[in-house]
Amino acid sequence: MTPKKTTNTTKLIALDTNTNAEYEFSVKDNYEYRYQKKPIRIDLVREADGVNVLSCNGLRYPYEVTRQSANTYNIILNGVSYSFSVETPFSLSRKRMLAAKAGLSKKEVIKAPMPGKILDVFVTEGQAVGSGEALLVLEAMKMQNTISTHMKGTVTKVTVVPGKTVGKDDVLIEIKAEH
Amino acid sequence: MIKSLLIANRGEIAIRICRTAKRMGIKTYVIRTVKEPNAVYLDFADQVLDFPETDGTTPEFLDIDNLVKLAVDNKIQALHPGYGYLSENAEFAQKCTDAGVKFVGPPAKLIKDMGDKIIAKEIAAKNGVPMLQGSEGSVKDVKEGVKIAKKIGYPVIIKAASGGGGRGMRIVHKQSEMERMFHAASSEAQSAFGDPSVFIEKYLENPKHIEFQVVADAHGNVVHLGERECSVQRKHQKLLEEAPSSGIDAALRSKMARVAVKLAKGAGYESLGTVEFLLDKNKNFYFMEMNTRIQVEHPITEAITGLDLVELQLRIASGEKLPIKQSDVKLDGWAIECRINAEDVQADFTPSMGTIKQLRLPQGDNIRIDTGIVPGSEITPWFDSMIAKLIVHGKDRKQAIERALSALERFHIKGVKTSIPFCKAVLHNEAFRSGDFDTSFIETKLESLVYREPDEELMAAMLALYQYTHETVPDVGPETGIDPWVLNRRIRNL
Repeated sequence: MTPKKTTNTTKLIALDTNTNAEYEFSVKDNYEYRYQKKPIRIDLVREADGVNVLSCNGLRYPYEVTRQSANTYNIILNGVSYSFSVETPFSLSRKRMLAAKAGLSKKEVIKAPMPGKILDVFVTEGQAVGSGEALLVLEAMKMQNTISTHMKGTVTKVTVVPGKTVGKDDVLIEIKAEH
Repeated sequence: MIKSLLIANRGEIAIRICRTAKRMGIKTYVIRTVKEPNAVYLDFADQVLDFPETDGTTPEFLDIDNLVKLAVDNKIQALHPGYGYLSENAEFAQKCTDAGVKFVGPPAKLIKDMGDKIIAKEIAAKNGVPMLQGSEGSVKDVKEGVKIAKKIGYPVIIKAASGGGGRGMRIVHKQSEMERMFHAASSEAQSAFGDPSVFIEKYLENPKHIEFQVVADAHGNVVHLGERECSVQRKHQKLLEEAPSSGIDAALRSKMARVAVKLAKGAGYESLGTVEFLLDKNKNFYFMEMNTRIQVEHPITEAITGLDLVELQLRIASGEKLPIKQSDVKLDGWAIECRINAEDVQADFTPSMGTIKQLRLPQGDNIRIDTGIVPGSEITPWFDSMIAKLIVHGKDRKQAIERALSALERFHIKGVKTSIPFCKAVLHNEAFRSGDFDTSFIETKLESLVYREPDEELMAAMLALYQYTHETVPDVGPETGIDPWVLNRRIRNL
């Protein structure tokens, strides 16, 4: 195995996939990084008790890379989750274009935030709903949680009925945005 | 003094109880369950008992008959229920007593009365505790609910008569919501407590939640150990507590304490108890409920009083007189407890399951950690998400906050997500630091549910970049020099 080849100096952008914040770096020979024109050096240290620590500019933060798919990295730093995709200027502009297109046919997929049992479903397919409207009641850990929509639109799909047990991230309801 | 003690609980509280019982020379027994046969708390007792095989429909620590039988079969003198589970179950306390096992807690009758919120309110009112306006007894249907709400004015709160822990509660802001909320509260009460009856009282918008610790022996002596501030709550679940409270002064403290002690005396209370009050903006306080168990947050009271609450509980259970008088109780400094829950705060506090891969705990004077996990422990949906409690003590509030923050920065758990970044966000928050906050704090004052250390996002970006630029690709064979992509295409075209 050999390191991935990049040309001498390249520009790479780390894009926070949750907030869309962008951090632009220039990278030379795969390990000399510059951020806002200043060199920045990081060391990844595995400490005696097995904790991985990121060390940079005098800061020492425990980290964990929990998942990687293609150029996207899920990271936990100081116990806080981040998701970054690393882009070239070209892939970033392509990504922006695709995102703009997707925005036109927006829909909201309501998933179960935790495993539990459906107690009540307030909407049916085809029904118009307003933002903040209650859709269903999910009982988890003996607490009843009312799940609401964040979007004004039409219910296109209801996959659950009262009494059904659902797992985390199971799709419950889909809503199509109103234009 | 009792000589042997069965702990009908698990996790950190089982370890906590073992610690004191051992110091007092009491032989301790804990219970092994099939759900966590290698749990840490099992190492802290003198003897481990296996829970008998059952059909599994009743969770072990809720299985009244089998728990009593374990105590009887092993000739154990007393049983400590800890908190949660059967700690406030009158039937359990009664069955222990009937079987000749001393239940560490108040007599069954008191548990029953205080557990029924309607009777508890009657007892409190009779003993001169200020009360919120509300229904007399339970409310039988929506119609009656509407009538009462009209009389006392919206908003009102519907509460389960056998409730607790925030379950079976609904706030109603206007009449049109009454029907839905009434049914929701009632059905949640039925599924959580097996009792659908609810009552209604005036809903105080954004009060402070302040509770007083009382201790009473079987000889009529009652002392209080000051208050705990529990206003940092989400969905009525406490997340961070402190003692004392910055919301009350010495005069109000002694007034509330007098009321709490009077209630305990009037009710003929025995053992540890907590009187919970709501405090409004004008510093009027009202009875909320009385808890008859040891509380999760008891260590902050221990920190500022120097007393061991489990020891007091065990002495009282042994029939001893309280070893302290009110004048012996001195409140010293300030203590804060941070509950470390295995929850993903960034995903609306959903439980985070997994294996604890690494654990680094802060150490030092004035730091206490009560936990039941070690590296390798499994966090499963079977049990509560609270995996540790960090308790710090300082000479004043400011120092306690700084010490808590410093300890949290050195507290690392790998394998599950935890509420540590949330606790940091609370302790850094200006409203919290000013001391002027109430139960709406999380919704109205906390801009971000997680605290990010300086440049944290940039560091995360750097880490992603590091991973990307250090990724390796398969070597290309030196003889063929063929690119794997080209090879792949050729294979597919064969």
